[in-house]
Amino acid sequence: MILINLSNIYKIYNVGGEEVRALDGVDLIINDNEYLAIMGPSGSGKSTMMNMIGCLDTPTSGVYEFEGEKVHIMDDGQLASIRNRKIGFVFQTFNLLPKATALHNVEIPLVYANIRKEKRIKMASKSLKNVGLGDRMHHKPNELSGGQRQRVAIARALVNNPSIILADEPTGNLDSKSGQEILQIFDDLHAQGNTIILVTHEDDIAKHAKRTIRLFDGKITEDIKDK
Amino acid sequence: MTALGIVIGVLSVTLMGTLISGLDRSFENSMSWLGKDILYISRYEWFSDMEWWEIKNRPRMRTEYVDKIKEKSKYALAVSPVMQRTASLSYKDKETRTEIFGTNEEYMETISTDIQQGRFFTESEDKSGARVTIIGHGIKEVFFGEKNPLGKYIKIDNLKFRVVGVLEKQGKFLGLFSVDKQAILPAGAYKRIFSKRGWMRLSVKVPEHRLSEGLDEISGVMRQIRGLRPSDKNNFAINQTKAFEAQYNTLKVAIGGTGLFITLLSLIVGGIGIMNIMFVSVKERTREIGVRKAIGATRGMILSQFLMEAVTICFIAGLIGLFLAYVSSTFINKIFPSTLPIGLSISAIVMSMVVGVLSGFIPAYQASKLDPIDSLRYE
Repeated sequence: MILINLSNIYKIYNVGGEEVRALDGVDLIINDNEYLAIMGPSGSGKSTMMNMIGCLDTPTSGVYEFEGEKVHIMDDGQLASIRNRKIGFVFQTFNLLPKATALHNVEIPLVYANIRKEKRIKMASKSLKNVGLGDRMHHKPNELSGGQRQRVAIARALVNNPSIILADEPTGNLDSKSGQEILQIFDDLHAQGNTIILVTHEDDIAKHAKRTIRLFDGKITEDIKDK
Repeated sequence: MTALGIVIGVLSVTLMGTLISGLDRSFENSMSWLGKDILYISRYEWFSDMEWWEIKNRPRMRTEYVDKIKEKSKYALAVSPVMQRTASLSYKDKETRTEIFGTNEEYMETISTDIQQGRFFTESEDKSGARVTIIGHGIKEVFFGEKNPLGKYIKIDNLKFRVVGVLEKQGKFLGLFSVDKQAILPAGAYKRIFSKRGWMRLSVKVPEHRLSEGLDEISGVMRQIRGLRPSDKNNFAINQTKAFEAQYNTLKVAIGGTGLFITLLSLIVGGIGIMNIMFVSVKERTREIGVRKAIGATRGMILSQFLMEAVTICFIAGLIGLFLAYVSSTFINKIFPSTLPIGLSISAIVMSMVVGVLSGFIPAYQASKLDPIDSLRYE
């Protein structure tokens, strides 16, 4: 089943009167339960690509359909809604709220989805248990290790049962052991049927994915499936 | 610290309200003590800006006017002269200086206080110059404590007077001075002992619903007594408690105006302070805003989150202000009776929250407009 359909996407910035093509006519189809790595050096359009897929940004031109919904014509409110319902973000720097407990951090997407308090707590604690943090629910981020923080972030990404998990250098701030643990979680999630998109510049990490695309100068230069 | 403006704003508005409500009540009490249906005739006008020599040149009031007014006026229900001076009162080894009044037997009808113990003096005691006195509640407490003062002799400026009555306790006039320390003597004895040329006024009781007719008539009677020609100006003044009311209202407006000014000023300062910390907060939490947007917060949600924060700060500041006002009002209460008005307290809190909305709106709007990609990248 086609989940994401990007066709002829352009993202053009004007920097000091000069035209910069961050995405230069990209076509990409991502199916259900794919495990995809997006690679490329800095300046290749990798970040723009991630923002585009994550519905944080809209293309200058082109068509973007997410499960049949036309993302390229959405306004801010609709984009916020589709991010809330369909996309789980995992960031390199975790981006947890420092003053909130793990449980509350995981709860926030549900707050924005207008879910009742009791149901929110039930869903959030279930999600934390799934990443093995059932006993750390009431800890604040500064009381957790880097790997645990990233697991909280993954629990937050998963809590809304999103269609895709979009991870931007998820192991970039972790030691190799914690990094391996996080990647193991992604592998498990994929095995359970989730769709995962990793954005990275490390080959070791991209190896976990089943499909790798490489970007260079805003164009897809390589698309290797089923390694 | 920045919320101090809000604290002061709420504090000043509620304190002002407390002050006015307290003044209102004590004014009401004091006015009923004076009596709305009493005309006070004397040489000078209350709250007028007449020159002292102008007053000085007016003829004095005389006790003889009392009978003449009674004879000629049909509105006058009671007429009494009131002469006043300070004198030294003593009983055994106790001594105090106080106001003494010389008046006639109708005096009790022109004041709202009652006799607590004993009786007032009679007309014959007045005419015969009997040395009897009615003492205020405060004097009784000082001289006799719990003992019965009736029939005892006290000395007024070293002359013996027999106590025949005690006035009931009245409290303070306008919360300023006590009227319980006084002694009332019959005019006959007063005039014989003390100078006839002391300060004097006449109190005339008229029917309450005929106040203006009474005033006109008494004014005419007084002109007749004084033998004034139609072209002459009055050389006396007839005062009413209305004059107090007018004066009091001016005072009230002044207190209210000052309080309002302080309130507005501190709220504006407080509001700017809140706006400033909200701007700083939005700046510091740019990344958080980015994360919240990425996981699905809409503009409206971010806007209301920051608005709520500003309103909460102001609400707490308002509560602190209200608490301080409550504490201070108990101190004010010791000076004169007053309470913190509940309606005003609620509107003060609402007002502080409105300040929160107004000063929080621009920073919150700015937060809601942030681009999620840029703010996620913000360090």
